Parts: sequence; structure tokens; C-alpha cells
Amino acid sequence: MENQSSEKQIILEVKNIYMEFPGVKALTDFSFNLYNGEVHALIGENGAGKSTFIKVLSGAKIPNSGEIIIGREKHNSLTPHQARRLGIQTVYQEDILVPSITAAENIFLGVESSNSKKAFINYKQIFTEAKELAKLIGIKLKVDEIYERLSPSDQQFVKILKALAQKPKVLILDEPTQAFNKNDIGLVIEMVKKISQEGVGVIYIAHDLEEIIEVADRVTVLRDGVKINTHDKKTDIFDPNSLAKEMIGRSVDLFYKKKESSVGDYVFEVQGLKLTPKSTPVSFKVREGEILGVAGLKGSGRSEIARAIFGALRKYEGKIFYKGKDITPNSPIQAVRSGIALLTESKKIDGLFMGQPVSHNITAVGLDNIGRFFLNLNKEKRYSGDFVKKLNIKTPSLEREVKFLSGGNQQKVVIAKWLFKGINVLIVDEPTHGIDVNAKTEVYELFTELAASGKSIIMISSEMPELISLSDRIIVVRNFEISRELLKDEINEENILSGFMGGK
Amino acid sequence: MLNNKKDNLSDKELVSGSRKLGFLNNQISYLILVIVIIAVVASVINPNFLTLRNFLNVMQQISILGILTMCMSLLMISGGLDISIGNMAGLIAIIFARMLLAGISIFLGVIVALALGIFLGFINGVIIAKSKVTPLIITLGMSYVFLGIALIVGGGRPQTITGQFSFLGEAKIGGVVPVSIVIFFVIFLFAFFLRKYTKYGRRLNAIGGNSQAAFLSGINVDWHVISIYTLSGLIVGFTSLILVSRLGMVRADSGSDYALQALAAAIIGGITFEGGRGSLVGAFFGVVLLGFIYNAMNIIGVNSYVQTIVLGAIIVVATVISQLGVGRLRR
Ligand SMILES: Nc1ncnc2c1ncn2[C@@H]1O[C@H](COP(=O)(O)OP(=O)(O)OP(=O)(O)O)[C@@H](O)[C@H]1O
Ligand SMILES: [Mg+2]
Repeated sequence: MENQSSEKQIILEVKNIYMEFPGVKALTDFSFNLYNGEVHALIGENGAGKSTFIKVLSGAKIPNSGEIIIGREKHNSLTPHQARRLGIQTVYQEDILVPSITAAENIFLGVESSNSKKAFINYKQIFTEAKELAKLIGIKLKVDEIYERLSPSDQQFVKILKALAQKPKVLILDEPTQAFNKNDIGLVIEMVKKISQEGVGVIYIAHDLEEIIEVADRVTVLRDGVKINTHDKKTDIFDPNSLAKEMIGRSVDLFYKKKESSVGDYVFEVQGLKLTPKSTPVSFKVREGEILGVAGLKGSGRSEIARAIFGALRKYEGKIFYKGKDITPNSPIQAVRSGIALLTESKKIDGLFMGQPVSHNITAVGLDNIGRFFLNLNKEKRYSGDFVKKLNIKTPSLEREVKFLSGGNQQKVVIAKWLFKGINVLIVDEPTHGIDVNAKTEVYELFTELAASGKSIIMISSEMPELISLSDRIIVVRNFEISRELLKDEINEENILSGFMGGK
Repeated sequence: MLNNKKDNLSDKELVSGSRKLGFLNNQISYLILVIVIIAVVASVINPNFLTLRNFLNVMQQISILGILTMCMSLLMISGGLDISIGNMAGLIAIIFARMLLAGISIFLGVIVALALGIFLGFINGVIIAKSKVTPLIITLGMSYVFLGIALIVGGGRPQTITGQFSFLGEAKIGGVVPVSIVIFFVIFLFAFFLRKYTKYGRRLNAIGGNSQAAFLSGINVDWHVISIYTLSGLIVGFTSLILVSRLGMVRADSGSDYALQALAAAIIGGITFEGGRGSLVGAFFGVVLLGFIYNAMNIIGVNSYVQTIVLGAIIVVATVISQLGVGRLRR
């Protein structure tokens, strides 16, 4: 923007917003402004009110009081239609586009243009337009590919392009890089910077402070619905430690240092696992009390292998042993019975009963702990209450339906569910996606504790710091096979990356 | 207030918290309110309405529907539905009547009826669990199958067994309280406890809420689905005995209307198609409300065609209201 002659103008201003849900003050006296051409990041713990604020801007929620000023217009609340008319476009993490049509069609679905008046789609035209749009922000995208066949990051680009096609003044991105690996995060950051250089004001939410620091011109910190501070790159040096401190209210160690504990003998073994007749067999062992990291790029087959081990995905052949006993599960029922747990990547679809109380969710797998046939509801309350406290799950009550919790707190509920069951082998797939720095440390501590108590943990992760600081050993998966194994003293970023590429 | 307190909440807050929010509890109080209003209005028009006799009369009339509503509710809570329970009851009733007419002992007849209920429910459950086709379609089809078989078994004629088997439908405990009401209450309590206080019920709830997550939580989804349809079949078998006993004469379509009415009662009571939600207490009051409306219309003298329209309208209104309620909370 430095080369832009025009001065920065405030394009969006929000004053004294209050927003209350039953039992929760999600936003208190929150004020915020946005310049054109800037990336303004919003950070805060899980449940701090970030998504709520965004929903107020996109017209999905009506605040109790406050003012929203855009251009010359002043509103107390917006409808989704007004928000769009005023040039506010929002990309939610959970947005779903039409899977079976091309990227380009998705991008221009519902866009007002000369094209939309006609009954037939001019494919050539929309492909060209989509390509131009993509080029403008510096990304390469197969615009004529069917949406569901695109990689997760490309799908994310399509969502963003779809928002851009509406020519917004304000673009809101709620955790756009969740579930991305480093490479892709870099691409998103570059793209966002380009977009802001075009004069669009971007509001950006993410939990990774490195990422925030790289992308943002200004950072606003939210804590418990209250604005703590706004930092400007021009006058402030962004420092992850002090940002984290503002978010949480006390200083935290951003680099988790695992307490070393002794590792026992091999107890869990995957032997010759093949998903299809043609795939190379996967074999590995895990020790008692060990955390085995599983690295690999998206689409490398890590999640599928995990599902197959758990019996949730049909395998062609292969055996699973625990303490020398063949426990090869054909279904999750058998897996759970033998003490294996799987925390999948998409917690909302695979892990939660959204319409049901927090307590029921926590006890869902471990019902045996609260009764033989009849349930002991008092015990349930006590135990689930313990977990809520232990994992610091923010909820006004145990009876609150999980769907009203913030994303990160939902995540913690899933973890609590398995911990309550009590398990021997815990397989986790991207365990800390969407959870804040503080909660991450809490989860790491839990894992370390579990390992120290003799459980084995298999941790699939795309986050280098997490893999490096937690793993006792790492296997790198590439193309559905193990391309490399790294012992404790070989674990570093370079070696992991070379494993991605297939280097030995 | 709550908000600025950093470290979560005290135990008491955690547990009691926002119980007020429970839409269900609201729904139940609404139902009771509507029931009271109807009772007051009807008794003003006709003083006979608010007598113990009439009250017991209403309860006896709705007992069969009430029991079937409990079946429907348990199924809906676990994400299912069974449109065939009405004709299933009719089919079993016809077979039972034929057996009595053929001189088979009541004891054996009852055993066969219950076994048949278990069997037919099991069939429904297996097809639904294994095919993963929506239960609405499967049970709609099965409903016609049952009706057809009932027509064949009965030769298309009513089966009259007046006087041979009247205990369940006619007998009154202490000469006052009809047995069928007691049975309805027992089944209601059974369903209520099953849902709320057993692991089995909790798992049904989980399956209804998110069957994918239930599967990945190691819950045997198929087994639960099959077993709840089977249990429902057993209860339907029992209900068909009450039906025979009450009517003294059964036709193939004697049970036909019950399925949709049970569905309506469940929805009025706050059970949703979504699964995993609603309470059996609500469903109970849903049935009572339906019964009161019918009875009030009868006592006031509303024509029976109009009664049908009213039933339909109630279903639509109740569904819309419950949908709006859910929607409001979402926003
Ligand atoms: N519809 C709702 N009903 C009741 N409470 C809600 C609702 N939506 C959000 N909340 C509550 O408001 C608070 C703020 O939630 P919000 O989703 O804005 O958090 P967030 O900062 O986006 O967190 P995360 O990083 O976990 O996504 C939370 O305590 C949440 O439980
Ligand atoms: Mg959020």
C-alpha cells in the first residue's frame, strides 16, 4: 500500500457493541475499526467472542446494543442482505459450497452480473473470469475442476474467490487456515496481502500467532468479550509472547517443553496394513508411554490409515496387536472395546452430539463408568464437571447444548469424551486445530500425563512445533506408506520436510 | 457477572446453570396451559366435560394411541420413525382374532401375538439398519404390506369375537380405573426411565443426535436400531391385544389411523424429526392434549369430518411451532 497515494480511510467502524447469550456475555462494550487496504487481525482465546463479532458484522446475529458505521450509514444491527449490500463478505470455516460443480461455477453462483440474467451458463466466460480473478490475487487454481476434487487449500481459495467475486469492501476470514500445513498457510497469507493491497479491508482470525504476526497490519486482542488492546505494526513491534499474555491474562510458555518420562516396551503394533490390494503394507510399533508423531502432507493417507486401524475404514489386510494379542478391529465397536480411541479430524461431524448437553457428550463413550444398566446421573454430573474444569471448557452449564459452545471449546469436549472412557492407545488426528495457545498447552500437558501413565499416543499433526516438542519418535507418511522414521535425536524440521518429499 | 470471571464456574452454576433455556420444559408448560384452556372452555359449554367420569373416559380412549405414541417417540429419539405400527397392530389383531375363533387358547394366542410383534418390528429394524434407507419410506411400504396381509388373513371381513377377550379393554380396577389406562401409564413410565436413566436409552439418544459420531464412539448402531424397532414391535403386539379387546370386532384397517396420530402426538409433545431431542413427558402430554381436543369436539358436538380437518391442522401448526422454536435458538 505504500505506493498508494490515497490516505487510509476508515471504512468500517463498530462502537460499543454488547452481545449477550443466556448465561454468557459474548461481547462487552466492544469497539473496532477497519481501514481500507489493511489486514486487521482478531485474536483471543476460545470463546473470547471472535466469531460472535463476525456474525454481528455479517448480519447473522443481532447485538443487544451498539453501532455499526459503514460509509455514511449507521446501523444498530445488520441483516445478511444489508451486510452484503454494504460490501461485507464473510468466509466461515464451516462454509460449504456445492461439491459437484466446478470451482468457477461456485465462484459465480449468485453473483449479479450480465451473465446471471441469462438462463444458460456461458462456461467459457465464467472460466475466463474466474481465472482472471485468481490471477489478480496471485494464485493458481484449476477453475474448471469439480469442487470436491480440489485439495483442501484450493477449496479454501475457491471460498475466498467466491467472496471476492462480489467485489467486497470488507472481507472477513474466520480461521481460514485451520487444517492447513505450513506451505498452504504461506499461500493464504500471500493471497490475503494481495487482496488488501487492492484496497479491501480484511478482518482475519487465526490462533497461530506466527501467522498473525506475518499477515496483520493491526492486531486487536479480545478477552472474554472485552477488547484488551489494538496494536499497529507501524508503532508497535508484534511479539508473540506479549500478545499471548494479553489474550490469556497471564504469561504463557509458547514453546511447550515436554516433561520427559520413561518409555516402556512395545505394546501396540500395526502389521502389514494395506488399504487396497495394491498399496504398500504399513507396519509400525508403539511403546508403552510413547508419543509417536505422524507427519505428512494433506492427502498423504495419514487419516485414512488411522481410520483403518480403528476399524472405521475397511482395510484390505493387516493385523493390529496390543500386548501381543491380536485385536484387529473390524469396527469401531471392537476398537473401543480393546481400548483404542480415535479423535478424528472433523470433530463436529465425527465426534459431537451437537444438540445434546455437554455432560452427555463427555460421557457418551464411557457410559460404563457411570452405570451397569442404569445411569447414575449424579456421578455423571460430577465426573463431567471435573472434566469441564480440568480442560477449562467454557460453558455456562453442563446442560448447555454443545452447539452453543465456541469452536475450540467443542474441540475440548471431544477430547474429554475419550479421556473419560479411559483408553490404552489414543490416536489423535490434528488434535489442536482451532484451539487457542493456552488450551494447546493444556492439551499437550494432558497427552504428556497420559503417556506418563503408560498409555500410547499416536499423534497425527501438521504443526511442526507440536510434532517436534511432543513426539518421542516420528514416522513420516507419504503416498499411503511410511517414507521415513525419525528417532528422538533425529527429530527436526528439516528431516520431517525431507520425509515429505520422500527423502530417506 | 459471569463474563469477567476468568476461571469458569462454581459447581452449582455448572450444574444448574441455564436450565430455564430448556425449550422442552417450556413446551410442556405450554401443553399443560393449552390443555387447561380447552378444559375450561369445554366445561363452560358442557359441564359434563370436567367430571372424573369423562376424564377417565378420555384417558381410556387415548390409551392405545398413547402407548403407540411412546413407541413412536422412542423411535424418533433414536433417529427413526415407524409409519407401519398402526397396520402392524391391525394385522396382529386380525391374526389373534382368527386364532381365538379357530378355538386356539387365549394363552397361546397372546404368546403368538407378542411373538409376531417382535418379529415384525425386528424385520423393520433389520431393513432400516442394514439398508440405511430413510425409515419413512421403508415403514410406509411395510405398512401396506401389513395391511394387505391382514386383508388376506381376514378374507376382507371383520372378525368378531365379542365377549371372548374383553379384560384388557373393558376391565376396571376397583370398578373405577380402566386397565388400559394403567397399562398406558406403565408403558409411559417404562419409556421415560429407559430414555433417561439407562445406558441403552442414552445410546439411542446419541444415535438419534449424530449416528456417525455414535458409530465412531464405538456404539453398536445397527444393534440399537434393530433392538428398538423390535422392542417397539413387542409393544405394538401387546397394544393389538388391547385393540381386539376394546373393539370386540376387528377389521384389517382397525389400526390404520394410529400411526399418523401417534406421530402427531409425538411432534406436538416436542419430539423432533432431527432425533436425539424431545422428552417423553412432552409426548405424554401431546397425547393427552389430542385426546382432550377430540373429546371436547365430541362433547361440543363438532361434526366428525371437521374433526379430521382439525387434527390435520394441529399437526401442521405443532410442527411449525416446534420448528420455529428450534430456529429461534439457532440464531
Ligand atoms: N448461539 C449461541 N448461544 C449461546 N451462546 C453462544 C452462542 N454462540 C456463541 N456463544 C457463546 O459466546 C461465547 C463466544 O463465542 P465465539 O464463538 O464468538 O468464540 P470464538 O472467539 O470464536 O472462539 P473459538 O476460537 O473457539 O472459535 C462463547 O462462550 C460461546 O459459548
Ligand atoms: Mg470461532
